[in-house]
Amino acid sequence: MRFIWLALLVLVFPVSAQEELSAKAWLENMSLALKGQEFKMSLIHLQADHIRPLVYIHGMVDEHEVAFLEHLNGPPKNVVRVANTVTFIEHDQPAYSVRADRIQGVLPPAFAGSIADLESGYQFVLGGRSRLAGRPGQLVRIIPNDDNRYSYQVWLDMDTYLPLRYDMLNLEKQLLEQVLVVELIVLDDAPAILHEAYKQDWPEIMPQPQREQADNWQFKWLPQGFKILVKDNHRLIGSHEAVEYIALSDGLVNISVYVARAGETALPDELMTRNGLSLATERVGNAEVVAVGKVPAETLSRIAKSITIE
Amino acid sequence: MDKLGQEWVSAAVDGEVDEQVLAELAADTDSHEKWRDYHMIGDAMRGELPAAINLDLSANIAAAIELEPSILVPKRVDAPEETPQELPQHKLASVVPLFKQFGQYAIAASVALVAVIGVQNYNQGGVEDAAPMPVLNTRPLIGSASPVSLQTGPVQQNQSYTNERVMEQRHRINTYIQDHMLQQRLNNSANIDDNSEPTPVPVNH
Repeated sequence: MRFIWLALLVLVFPVSAQEELSAKAWLENMSLALKGQEFKMSLIHLQADHIRPLVYIHGMVDEHEVAFLEHLNGPPKNVVRVANTVTFIEHDQPAYSVRADRIQGVLPPAFAGSIADLESGYQFVLGGRSRLAGRPGQLVRIIPNDDNRYSYQVWLDMDTYLPLRYDMLNLEKQLLEQVLVVELIVLDDAPAILHEAYKQDWPEIMPQPQREQADNWQFKWLPQGFKILVKDNHRLIGSHEAVEYIALSDGLVNISVYVARAGETALPDELMTRNGLSLATERVGNAEVVAVGKVPAETLSRIAKSITIE
Repeated sequence: MDKLGQEWVSAAVDGEVDEQVLAELAADTDSHEKWRDYHMIGDAMRGELPAAINLDLSANIAAAIELEPSILVPKRVDAPEETPQELPQHKLASVVPLFKQFGQYAIAASVALVAVIGVQNYNQGGVEDAAPMPVLNTRPLIGSASPVSLQTGPVQQNQSYTNERVMEQRHRINTYIQDHMLQQRLNNSANIDDNSEPTPVPVNH
C-alpha cells in the first residue's frame, strides 16, 4: 500500500509542482534553461518596420557554454560566444572579440541572469497558457512598478522553460519589439558547429577602451531600481566628440547619459525611434545632457534634468 | 397456422389485399416464412429464381437494419432508471460537444481579432508616435535603405533650419544612438540589454 502511495506521489508531484510555480520561479527556471540546456531555436526579431530572422544555437562543450547566433537575411553576420568571450563576425569589419557573458541580439541578457535583481523595478505576474512554436507555453508578464519604463511579456516552454516569445510593450500596451521563436529543437548533445566554434582560435579580446576617471556625476532622481554601472569619458565613435558618459541599468534596461559641450545645432528635446529607443536632451548653460535608452522619452528627460556634479 | 391464414398470406403475395391487411401481416412474424415461401414458389413458376437462393433474405435484411447505426434518431433516454439529479447531467453531456465547437469558433474568432488589432497597432505605432514628438527612423526596411525621416518638432519650427542643419542634427542623433549601442557591447556586465547591433544609422549626406 505504501508503495502505491509513493508511486502516486512521484507520478503526481511533477505535474502539481509546475501548477504551483510562481511567476518568479518560472523566470528563474528560464534563466537556468538558457544557461544550461542544449538547444537550437529559429526565431524572428520584429521591430516596427523591421523583420530579422535568426538562428540561435546553445550548448555545452567541455563544461563551457558555447553559443552561436546567425543572421539569416542580408550580409552574413554571426556572433559566437565561448564562455565569456563574444566574437562578432561581420562582413564590413574584421572579426573582433569582447568580454561578455551573453550574446546580445536574441533576448535581454538579463533573462539569463539573476531574476531577483529585477524585482526592485518590476513585478512578475503569471498569465494564461497558449501554444507557440507548436509547444504549450506559459505567459509571464514583467510589469514595471511605475510608468518610467516599458513592460515585457515572455512565453516559456512548459517542458524546457526556454522562452518561446518575448514582447516589449509601451505604456499604451502597443508592441515595440518582439522576438518570436518559430522552431525550438532540444538537443541531446552540443551540435558539431559548437564543437568547431570551441576549437577555433578567435581574435583576442579587444583591450577595454581606456576608462578614464570621469567627474563624479550623481542623479537627484532615478527611477526605482536604476543604478550607475559605469562612468567614464570617451569620444563618440562617429564624431570624435569628447563626452562624459554614465551607464545606468535596472537589470533589464540600459540607459546611456552623455554630458558634452553643446553643439552648434541643438538636438530635439525628446525623440523616439520606432524600435522603442528614445533620446532626450537637456541644455544646461553651454553644455548639453543627452540620455538614450529603451524607456519612455519623458523618463529620459527627467533623468537628464536631475543630473548634478558633486 | 390454419388454412385460412395461409390463403390470407397467399392473397397478400398476389397483391389482392388492402393496406390494413398488409400491416397486419407485417406484424405477424409467424406468417413471414409463408410469405417468403409463396414468393419463392411464384418466382420458380415464372422461372425468375436467382442462381443462388438466399432462403433467409428477410432475416438478413432485418439483421442488417438492426446493425445500421441510427444517425438521425436521438439516443433513447432511459427515463425510468434515472434519478432526477442524473437527468440534467445526461442532457448536459449531449449539449457539451456543441458548446465545445462553439467555443473553438469563439476562440478562433478572438485570436483573429487580436491578430488584426495587434497588426493594426503594430503598423500604426510609428505613425502615432510621430504626432507628439519627432520620429527617427533608425533602421532601413529590408532590401531598401530608406532615408531617416526626422520630422521637425515644435522646437525647431520657430527657428529657420536649413537643410544642412537638419542633416547635422540627424548626424549628431545618430552618433549618440550608435555610441549607446556600442556601449552595450563594451559594458561587460551581465545585465547588458540591447537587441540591436550598432550598425550605422543611415544618414543622407
